[in-house]
Amino acid sequence: MLEVRAIDAAYGDVQVLAGLSLEVREKEIVTLLGSNGAGKTTTLRCVTGLLAPRKGEVLFRGQPLSKVAASDRAGLGIALVPEARELWPQLTVRENLELGAYDKRARGRAAQNLDRVQVMFPRLLERRSQVAGSLSGGEQQMCAIGRALMSEPSLLLLDEPSLGLAPIVVEQMFEAIRALHASGMTILLVEQNLAAALEIATRGYVIETGQVKLSGTAAELRSDPKIRAAYLGL
Amino acid sequence: MDRFAELVIASVLLAGLYATMAYGLGLIYGVLRIVNLNHGGMIMAGAYAGWYLHSEYGIDPYLSLLPVAAVSFLLGIAMYRGLVHRLPRGAAGGVQSLLLLFGVWLVMRNVAYLLFTGNDQTLRTSYSTRAAVLAGALVSVNRVAVFAVALATLIILHILLTRTYLGKAIRAVAQNPDSCTLVGIRVERIYALTFGLGTALAAIAGLLGATLFPFNPSFGAGELLKSFVVVVLGGLGSVAGTAIAALILAAVEVFAILFIPAYLTAAVGFVLLVLVLVLRPGGLFGQRVLG
Ligand SMILES: Nc1ncnc2c1ncn2[C@@H]1O[C@H](COP(=O)(O)OP(=O)(O)OP(=O)(O)O)[C@@H](O)[C@H]1O
Ligand SMILES: [Mg+2]
Repeated sequence: MLEVRAIDAAYGDVQVLAGLSLEVREKEIVTLLGSNGAGKTTTLRCVTGLLAPRKGEVLFRGQPLSKVAASDRAGLGIALVPEARELWPQLTVRENLELGAYDKRARGRAAQNLDRVQVMFPRLLERRSQVAGSLSGGEQQMCAIGRALMSEPSLLLLDEPSLGLAPIVVEQMFEAIRALHASGMTILLVEQNLAAALEIATRGYVIETGQVKLSGTAAELRSDPKIRAAYLGL
Repeated sequence: MDRFAELVIASVLLAGLYATMAYGLGLIYGVLRIVNLNHGGMIMAGAYAGWYLHSEYGIDPYLSLLPVAAVSFLLGIAMYRGLVHRLPRGAAGGVQSLLLLFGVWLVMRNVAYLLFTGNDQTLRTSYSTRAAVLAGALVSVNRVAVFAVALATLIILHILLTRTYLGKAIRAVAQNPDSCTLVGIRVERIYALTFGLGTALAAIAGLLGATLFPFNPSFGAGELLKSFVVVVLGGLGSVAGTAIAALILAAVEVFAILFIPAYLTAAVGFVLLVLVLVLRPGGLFGQRVLG
């Protein structure tokens, strides 16, 4: 469904990705792992179009995305839950969710998708008239996921959804991701919480300084001695 | 008592014009982080447009409001696409955009001198001097009409910004443009529309102002400064905040007549501006953006 082919990406003169390739197949949940500054967020920015790769190509359902404007990619079925939530802090929860369905493809079904999101996260229904900036971290994460779901994506990109959340909320978050996957959504999950990510993922990639260092099924990665030593502390 | 009622009514009526004038400046700053110095130029252009259509073709200024607003909206979009769009924005782009838009203002002003000379003009209609009794005070019919138009404009804007997808998108772009791109909002298009809206508001204010005051090609300079005062006082983008700030400025100016000579009242607003900046230095342009 998603194919990243040997992309290079840079911010100004600072090269961040160097020939990075990965693939996410239909109905998979793939995790992208790596330490701080490895280039995980940058990879997702290249998929959503917020950053244009210097080299290489990103394909979605076989279609090269280099000619597709970033603002048209939601319409293709790509949605991102950004690393720092990136909500509109002074709009209400309700408005944040509504704008998730801004693209015309999703707008017609905004009402029923709003219901679905609020059933999934009842907390968002309780807080619907509150401005998003006043939500707790966990609630903001729910709102960010809800906003992404409002566009009815077929590919959901999640950038460290567990970041900065209490353990119990992290568990809820992973439960929600598992449920989305079970409902047929394809997911690319960026995580630093390797243990949890490898538990729900089908496959994974480990990147380091902008390149894929390791890849394989979740089981393979879990039992890889290098990973056990470097990331899982075993 | 009658005198007091008269001054209160005069303040409220004037506040409508001030709020419309300031809202355009605040909207553009809130969304694009650009101080539109050409706001003054568009106020002047709106005044001349209304005056010209009236004196050449006998069109009532209130009839020419909509077409003038529509043309100004398109002109604003063209200015954004042709000029402003090329500039860096926010803290990084402050100086360039100030200079560019100030330049546009100078050009417009000189074109106005060329076309209409520097003489003061007035837009007089059959009802310009008509008055009616309102709450025991004698008020000009035209001032009430200006207020009604200003109020209607602000209400329409408020509904646009809070009830429609487009309006919500405008507010969202002010707060986080990248998130807007991610949900399919074409941010550049929102910038262009917002610049058009702000420009149209300036022209509407200018046209309304022309029915009240004599004007010449320098018209708009004082109005720009007053718009600053209102935006600084009232914060960005909140229609209610803008209305209250406009009322404060208008009341201060109107009531100052009781204490100081008339030719000094225009300066009162700037004293207010300085006071606000000294007392609330962090309050410049407010914290909340189009909340
Ligand atoms: N806007 C930017 N301008 C310049 N450099 C940037 C920018 N964003 C990221 N970088 C740099 O690019 C590199 C990769 O950043 P990226 O955000 O992709 O890492 P990451 O894997 O997501 O890290 P983290 O786990 O900390 O989120 C880092 O060295 C970072 O400093
Ligand atoms: Mg990151």
